[in-house]
Amino acid sequence: MDSRRSECEAIVRRLWPYVDDKLPDSDRERVTRHLEECADCLSHFDFARAFLDAVHAASTPAKEDDALRVRVIAALNHQGLSI
Amino acid sequence: MLESTHQPTPLTPESVRERDREFAAATLPLMPNVKRYALALTRNESDADDIVQETYLRAHRYWRSFDSANDCRRWLVTICRNAFNTVHQREGRAVAVDDDELESLAAARAHNAARVAGVDDMYSRLDLGPAIQAAIEQLDTSFRDVVVLSDVEGFSYEEIAEMLGIPLGTVRSRLFRARRQLQESLMVYAIDAGFARANGVPIRIAAPVGKHDG
Repeated sequence: MDSRRSECEAIVRRLWPYVDDKLPDSDRERVTRHLEECADCLSHFDFARAFLDAVHAASTPAKEDDALRVRVIAALNHQGLSI
Repeated sequence: MLESTHQPTPLTPESVRERDREFAAATLPLMPNVKRYALALTRNESDADDIVQETYLRAHRYWRSFDSANDCRRWLVTICRNAFNTVHQREGRAVAVDDDELESLAAARAHNAARVAGVDDMYSRLDLGPAIQAAIEQLDTSFRDVVVLSDVEGFSYEEIAEMLGIPLGTVRSRLFRARRQLQESLMVYAIDAGFARANGVPIRIAAPVGKHDG
């Protein structure tokens, strides 16, 4: 059905801002309502979220690096840092 | 003539020490974060260490201009990026991008393509970590900047716009475009690595993966 398809398209056009929680309230509610009843659109949004979760999980944790810390502090002291 | 009401505080050895203590207390605990960001830029441990050192030297020189009401991590990451750009003579090449809504539609098309290829469950079936890092590394710098700051470092669109000195709309379009390119790279990776399910339509984007056991 055409009106159905165009509503799906309108919803999918908001995919990234919705996933990033950047839509104005009224828009967000419209998308949420649609996703509750449209499995096809929901699967696109779930795929996008799975992708972002994977990107986030792929980032290496911020690690302490003692050798680097010593080296940076030495360089700072050389520049005049007085600690 | 109006006299300036903002006389700089005279520098005494004690005030310098106090300032340096504040600098150290605010910035040194953030070194792991700066290092991670530097690594995302350089993909090379020793280059990243050089950039971190340069970042701290600059931060120390500019410390008096830092407003303590601001987010110190954001400030350091901005300095780090500038240091990287100077050292590596990077040009912030502007790239034409499609509009956000079309990029959102492209994300749905990426899902359809993954379904057809039988890799739509790749994120739950595969450890894509190394492939994701490699794909980020291959992005054009203007896209990589935005996706690393947003999806790796967790800064908001608004923060990124300020850090990179670009309009909010540009942040969004670059971010969405970068995500599309990453999604495409990962799909190619999953198919090339032979992870397409048997019921997927066997489309080949690159040369078939050798399976010589028959």
